[in-house]
Amino acid sequence: MSSKIMSLEEAAGLVRDGDRISFGGNVLHRAPMAMVREIARQRRRNLRIIKTAGAHDIDLLCAAGSVASVDAGFVSYETEFGLAMHYRKAVEGGQVIGNEHACYTVICSLRAAASGAPFMPVAGLKAGDLLQVADYFRVIQDPFGGEPVTVVKAIVPDIAVVHVQEADDLGNAVIHGPKFEDALISRAASKVIVTAEKIVPRSKIRMRPDQVDIPGFLVSAVVHAPRGAAPCSVEKAYDADTKAIERFKKLKAEEIDIYLNEYEMKDRGFKVGGLR
Amino acid sequence: MNTNLMNKSIGPRVCDIMVCAMARLLQDEDRVFHGVSSQMPMVAMALARHIHAPNLVHLNIPGGVNPASIKKPSYSSAGSELLATGEAYFPLEYVFDLSMRGGLDVAFLGGVQFDVAGNVNASVIGDYHKPKVRLPGGAGSAVLIPTAKRAIIWRTKHDKRTFVEKVDFVTTRGNLWKIVTNLCVFEFKNGSLYLDSIHPTSSLEEVAANTGFQLRYDEIRYTPLPTEREISMLRQIDPFDYRAKEM
Repeated sequence: MSSKIMSLEEAAGLVRDGDRISFGGNVLHRAPMAMVREIARQRRRNLRIIKTAGAHDIDLLCAAGSVASVDAGFVSYETEFGLAMHYRKAVEGGQVIGNEHACYTVICSLRAAASGAPFMPVAGLKAGDLLQVADYFRVIQDPFGGEPVTVVKAIVPDIAVVHVQEADDLGNAVIHGPKFEDALISRAASKVIVTAEKIVPRSKIRMRPDQVDIPGFLVSAVVHAPRGAAPCSVEKAYDADTKAIERFKKLKAEEIDIYLNEYEMKDRGFKVGGLR
Repeated sequence: MNTNLMNKSIGPRVCDIMVCAMARLLQDEDRVFHGVSSQMPMVAMALARHIHAPNLVHLNIPGGVNPASIKKPSYSSAGSELLATGEAYFPLEYVFDLSMRGGLDVAFLGGVQFDVAGNVNASVIGDYHKPKVRLPGGAGSAVLIPTAKRAIIWRTKHDKRTFVEKVDFVTTRGNLWKIVTNLCVFEFKNGSLYLDSIHPTSSLEEVAANTGFQLRYDEIRYTPLPTEREISMLRQIDPFDYRAKEM
């Protein structure tokens, strides 16, 4: 089988304007930031983002003007960093549609996608205004029991981007520590891009195939991206860079290009095969 | 104001009162979940496990069951340390599934606006489709408040913008049990919020002045102060004082 390794620029080229795109990780942890920045640099437009709980990834793409809608349960930084102001302003200004979900309803819409079903029942979604205002929820009669049950529409991401600690050149990917919804989005999406801290030999993966979280046959592209989640954290590799996040949060939207340029060498600096 | 306390040279801190009040709401063997940005519940759960609920089951977003220590996740209550020091891996999607089938005893949740009828808003201020303020979102609350056996909300800002006659948007409602604020504890019963206890650091007047609806209460009670044992345990389990981060 031939290698799927490509550069960050090439892999970002798989993302089309208007795509539904889902990112791995959770809030400040293991977000695929190198790819997120490259998508912003390549000026993708009208992306429809799907994630249970996002922060810097969604905030950055909103600042870059790349986003049409966000389906998420939670979009914010954590306690010490405050709110995701670029996202917030974009929704308040009408440039971005903020589709409010519970995190679990995002999971259920991805489970529907992963199993080829048009929708999925959500046992717990019983009360509140979302049932009235959101067109992705419906209350139907349980065809077996007759009681009302809420269903959520399937969301099939065109692309899932997942940042992992280790992958081989075929895309067999291993996640250390919390896996969040990464395996699920890889099953739900039409295409999967894996960015990896380390590209390891196929033989290493074959020693423990039971540890592979995303099998290579689902993966379209593999990118060697050391520090590819920074300034977010990666388990056992690096912590969230609080200074870099604070700095980003203070940027005005028109200063985003400067920020993206600063990361350009770091993000793109590794050539095919993982060698500098 | 409780005069005995005012005379003490070093009064209790509100964050300690809140964390102890939250810990005392937890029972042994409860399965308890906290989400992101949840340092206070995380400390309260650890305190309960060390004092009166040794078999409490601590569940969280990274999926670490019963983390041995909460000293490390400095900037995060969704950090990988919660899994690394845990006894098993039980990821978020399974925590939700557990709640859906009635297996989650307590969920700690946030929110930005609450009304007297127990409605919770974490979504928007103003129109849903063209919001004046887009809030971070309810995260799990729209599915957890209706399904967890008891839902506890904590909020370190108690003011008239937070406690309103009627919320702008109902993200969720249902099994709300208690709301612990920096001034008091509310209990949700008979379809409305009742003043349960006032923190000794506050007063009925202060709670009333900062609440946008008429207070309902059966009697005036004060939240018990942290005991010396609780305070000394807090210093051990939370030496970096994460419980004070939100204040």
